[in-house]
Amino acid sequence: MLRFLALRLARAGVTIVLVVTFAFVVLRLSGDPALTIMSPDAPPAALAAFRHEWGLDQPVWVQYLRYFGAILHGELGQSMRDGRPAMALVIERLPATLMLTVPALLLKIGLGVPAGIHAALHRNSMTDRVVMAGAVAGFTVPSFVLGLLLVLVFAVHLGWLPSGGDDSWRGAILPVVTLGLGGAGILARFTRSAMLEVLGQPYIRTASAKGVPWRLVVRGHALPNAAIPTVTVVGFMVGTLIAGAVVVESVFSWPGVGRLLVVAVSNRDLAVVQCVLLLVASTMVAANLTVDLLYGLLDPRLRGQATAGAH
Amino acid sequence: MTTLSRRLLLTGAVTGAAAALPRFALAQGDTRPAITVAVQKLANTNTLDPMREQSSNASERWMGSIIETPIARNQQGHLERVPGLAAAWRRIDDRTVELSLRPGVKFHNGDELTGEDVAFSFGPERMFGPNARGDLPADIPAVGRRYWPALERVEVVDRHTVRFVNATPDVTMEGRLSAGGSQIVSRRAWTEGASWLANARHPVGTGPYKLREFVPDVSMTLDAHDDYWGGRPPLKSIRFLEVPEAAARANGLLSGEYQFAADLSADQIPTIEGAGAFQVLGGLVLNHRIVAFDKHHPVLADARVRLAMAHAIDGQAVVDALWAGRSRVPPGLQWEFYGEMFVKGWTVPPHDPAKARELLRAAGYKGDPVPYRIRNDYYTAEIATAQILAEFWKQVGLNVQIEVKENWSQVLNKAGPRGMRDWSNSATFDDPVSSIVNQHGPKGAQQTNGEWTNAEMNTLSVAMQSSTDMALRKRAFARMLQICEREDPAYIVLHQNAVFTGKPKALPWRAPPSFFLDFGPRNWGA
Repeated sequence: MLRFLALRLARAGVTIVLVVTFAFVVLRLSGDPALTIMSPDAPPAALAAFRHEWGLDQPVWVQYLRYFGAILHGELGQSMRDGRPAMALVIERLPATLMLTVPALLLKIGLGVPAGIHAALHRNSMTDRVVMAGAVAGFTVPSFVLGLLLVLVFAVHLGWLPSGGDDSWRGAILPVVTLGLGGAGILARFTRSAMLEVLGQPYIRTASAKGVPWRLVVRGHALPNAAIPTVTVVGFMVGTLIAGAVVVESVFSWPGVGRLLVVAVSNRDLAVVQCVLLLVASTMVAANLTVDLLYGLLDPRLRGQATAGAH
Repeated sequence: MTTLSRRLLLTGAVTGAAAALPRFALAQGDTRPAITVAVQKLANTNTLDPMREQSSNASERWMGSIIETPIARNQQGHLERVPGLAAAWRRIDDRTVELSLRPGVKFHNGDELTGEDVAFSFGPERMFGPNARGDLPADIPAVGRRYWPALERVEVVDRHTVRFVNATPDVTMEGRLSAGGSQIVSRRAWTEGASWLANARHPVGTGPYKLREFVPDVSMTLDAHDDYWGGRPPLKSIRFLEVPEAAARANGLLSGEYQFAADLSADQIPTIEGAGAFQVLGGLVLNHRIVAFDKHHPVLADARVRLAMAHAIDGQAVVDALWAGRSRVPPGLQWEFYGEMFVKGWTVPPHDPAKARELLRAAGYKGDPVPYRIRNDYYTAEIATAQILAEFWKQVGLNVQIEVKENWSQVLNKAGPRGMRDWSNSATFDDPVSSIVNQHGPKGAQQTNGEWTNAEMNTLSVAMQSSTDMALRKRAFARMLQICEREDPAYIVLHQNAVFTGKPKALPWRAPPSFFLDFGPRNWGA
C-alpha cells in the first residue's frame, strides 16, 4: 500500500512539474509583462529597467532554470504587479474562493445526487423528464448567463440579494447558487446513468427475486455500485475548488483566486499564475488520490487490484 | 494645593462631559453621504503613485481626490488652468516658472504644505533617484523624465515660493505642472514610509479625501479630509469598488448597491435611464481613438494607400452606431483645450470612397492583405468598431484582415506582418507636445516601436519642445498635422472618446469633461 501511495505521489509530482513548465513556456512566449503592466506608452528606458529588474531580459531557458531552482528552495517568487510574495497573495484570496466553492460543492452533491437517484428510480416518468430537463439546462447554460439572470431577478427586480461583492454572507448566495446549479445538473446526469446501469444488472434482479425489499436492494446493492462513477465526478469537482469560480467571481465582483488568476494571466504576472496553478494541480492530484483510495473502500475488488498493481 | 472635593469632582465631570459632547454631537451630526462607486479597474500596477500608475482609464478616476497638482484644472469648465496648490504662478524667464503656494494647505497627516514638499516631490527620493533607501525601482526615473524631460531643479525660494528651472526653454512648463506626474506628496509622510512600495501604495496628499484602505484589485476607501483647502468635502467617505463586468456595474447601480457606476458603454444608457430614477452623465474626454500605421508593411509603404484608408472611413457612422451620437469625429489629433495652439479649420480626411479608390488605383494596389491588429474590446466597442472599419475598407477594394490579439506585446510583436493597430492618444496637458509630439515624435511610442518615422516631423518636434515663439510653434503644429494625417499618414483619427457614469438623478453631481470622477466641494450640490 505504501508503494502504491509512493507511486501515485511520484506521478503527481511529475504532473505538477509538467503543469508548471507548460504554464511558464506559454506565458513567457505569449506576452511581455513590462508592456502589459506599464502600458505600451511607457518610455523605452522604463520598460527596459522593468525587464531588467525582474530578469525578463534574460533568455527564457535561463529564466526557467532560475525559476525552478528557486522553487526547489521553497521560493515561489514575487508578484511583478504587487511586489509581494506571490503565494501570500494567493493564500490571501483563498478563503473568499472557498466561501463560494465549498458551499457550491455541497449544493451540487446535495441537489444533484438525490435528483439523479430519484430520476433513475422513476425512469421515463414525468419526474424523470423534469429532473433531466433541469439538469441539461443547469449544465448547458453558461455560468455568466445564469449569474446575470439571477442578479436581474433577485437583485435588480426583487431587491432581495446583493448583486455582487463580499460585504456580507448574503453576497455569496447568488454566486453559490450559480456555481451549484451547473454542477448539480452534471451530477444528476451521471448519477442517473450510473444508477440505471446498476439497476439493470443481474444481481439486482436476483436480490429482488429473493424477496429483498426494493428499498434495501437500492440501498444495499444499487447505491454502492453506482457510487464509483459519481465519486469520480465529485473528485473532479473537488479539484476545481481553488480555481473553479473564475467566471462567477468576475460576474459577481468576488475577490477570490479566480479573479486574481484572470488579472495575473492578463498581466503575465508569472509567479502568481504559477502559485495558483501549483495549488490547483496539488488539489486536483490530491482529489484524484482520494478518489483512488475511495474506489478501494467502495469496491474491495479494486482494492485488491491496486495492491497487486503496486507489487 | 487644591484639595479634591465632591464639588470639584462634579465640576470636573460636567466640564469633561461638556468638552466631550460637542465632539460627539459633531460625529453624530455628520450627515454627509457615504457612497460606493463601481469602476472597471482601480489601478493597472497595484500602486497609487503616478510615477508608476499612469492609466487614464483607471487611476485618473480617483487620483485627483487624493493628491493634487500645483496648478489645477477647471473640472467644472473646460479644463483650463486655475489656481490650485499654487495660488499664483509667473514666468521668470523662458526656463523658469515661479509658484506662489497657497498658505494654510494641509496634508492628510496634518502637516502644512511648504516649498520643501514641492521640491521633494520632484526630487531624487520620489522621482529621479537614487533614493536614500536604495529601493526606488529603476523604471521610475525614466517615467519622471517622460513627464519632465528637461527639468533641472526645483528651488525653494521661501516657505511658500518655489521655482521650477528647466535646462532648456519650455513653454509647456505650466501645462506640465497641471498634469499627471506633478502631484505633490508630503515629504514627512514619504520619508517615514516603510519602503517605496509602501509609499506608492499609500500616498499622503492634500486632496479632498484621504486614503483609508487600498485592497489591490478589489477596493479603495477614502475618507473626507475636513481640512481641505478648497472647503469641506461633501461626502463622508467614498468606496471605489472594482467591478470588471459592465453589466454587473449597471445591475449594482439599478439595485441600489452602488451610487455611481463608471465606465458604462453607450448601449447601456437606454437601460439605465429607462429605469426612471437614474441618469447617465459624461461625455467627451481628452482622448482620441486612432488606428496607427506601420509604414514598413509593403502595402502601407505607399502613403497614398494610407490616405485612401482614411478617406474610406465614415467616422460619423461609427459615432452614431456605437456611441449613440454622444461622441464626435474630432478635428484631427488636437483638442480645443489647446487654446491658442488649436488649429482652427483642420479636419480629418473626409469620407470620400471615390477618392479612396482613385488613390488606391494610383498606388497600384492589387488587393494584397493588410493585417489589422486589435484587442478584445480593450477599447470601448473595439471589435465592433474594427468590423465596421473593415467593411468601409472592403467597399473601396481594400483587403484588411482583422487579427484579435490578447495583449500589447502581441499587438506590437514585430514577428509576422504588422500593418495597422488600434490605439488611443490623450492630451495630458494643454499643448500639442503632450500628444502629437509625445506619441508620434522621435521619442513617441510609434517611432520607438519602429512603426513609423518622418524626418521633417522629427525636426518639427524639436522646435515644438524648445521654441518659445508661439507663432512658429503653431505653424509647426499645423505642419505636423498635415504630415501625420495627409502627406505621410501615421494614423487615422476615428473619434473622440467619451466616458459615461450612471447615478441616481437625486445625487447632485456633475460629470467633469475628463476621466476624473470629481467628488470635491466644487462639484457637488445644486
